Amino acid sequence: MVPVSWYIILSAIMFTLGALGVIVRRNAIVVFMCIELMLNGVNIAFVALSHVAGNINGQVAVFFVMVVAAAEAAIGLAVIITVFRSVQSIETQNVGELKG
Amino acid sequence: MDTFAFLVLATVITLSGIGVIAMRNPIHSALCLILNLACVAGIFALLGADFLAAAQIIVYAGAIMVLVLFVLMLLNLKVEKKNLLGYIYLAFGGLVSVVFILMFSYLVRVEPLNQLADNVRGSVAAMGKILYTDAIFPFEAASVLILAAITGAVMLGKRSYKKRTTHIKGQAIDI
Repeated sequence: MVPVSWYIILSAIMFTLGALGVIVRRNAIVVFMCIELMLNGVNIAFVALSHVAGNINGQVAVFFVMVVAAAEAAIGLAVIITVFRSVQSIETQNVGELKG
Repeated sequence: MDTFAFLVLATVITLSGIGVIAMRNPIHSALCLILNLACVAGIFALLGADFLAAAQIIVYAGAIMVLVLFVLMLLNLKVEKKNLLGYIYLAFGGLVSVVFILMFSYLVRVEPLNQLADNVRGSVAAMGKILYTDAIFPFEAASVLILAAITGAVMLGKRSYKKRTTHIKGQAIDI
């Protein structure tokens, strides 16, 4: 039987990779995909810890995370397309007009 | 057997996660992410979360990633010449990664979680029972959220509101 700690470590690795990608990549869609990576890392921790708690409430939480991720994908990609129409680029350093 | 499956899935998840952030072509990143999400579904199945494993494949690897790939192909991006913002950001990212990993490994060490309960099984029936009784309010709120997201995406995706006139076969048509 695999110990629960291993799942937590796997989730930590996934979350860390996602955070690293958000920091170092400049393509907005890749940043977006890295956010999905972080969400999935957290989902693994939720499901693994629902075993420790002894009920499936953690899995219900994962269900709602998926719902929010789907909504985020729809809105986020629409925003990226709108930005691309006005700036002709989705590289994050080219979209700095709000910067003070 | 479980341990072997876990190790294989964890290795593929880690490697494809590195692929997502290291590939220069965004399409390759997206394909790596699909592999990653499919393996996460395997991890869910290993943990007895049947419903979530199916939902992961259908919603993430299916719907969301197809949407992302559509947008990538619609925008027709060029491959980035240099895919990293610069060494300062890379150093900062590395620092953040080290801090995260240390934090999580400390957490696992102070609170050893070794037992894996056998009776926790997220079948469709069990999930549905909770979703329609205890979690009915968040469930309905989620449907409102999805509706708002659909409406918002249509609004954002629309072209400008300026009325334009085009001429097709001598007729003026408003578009």
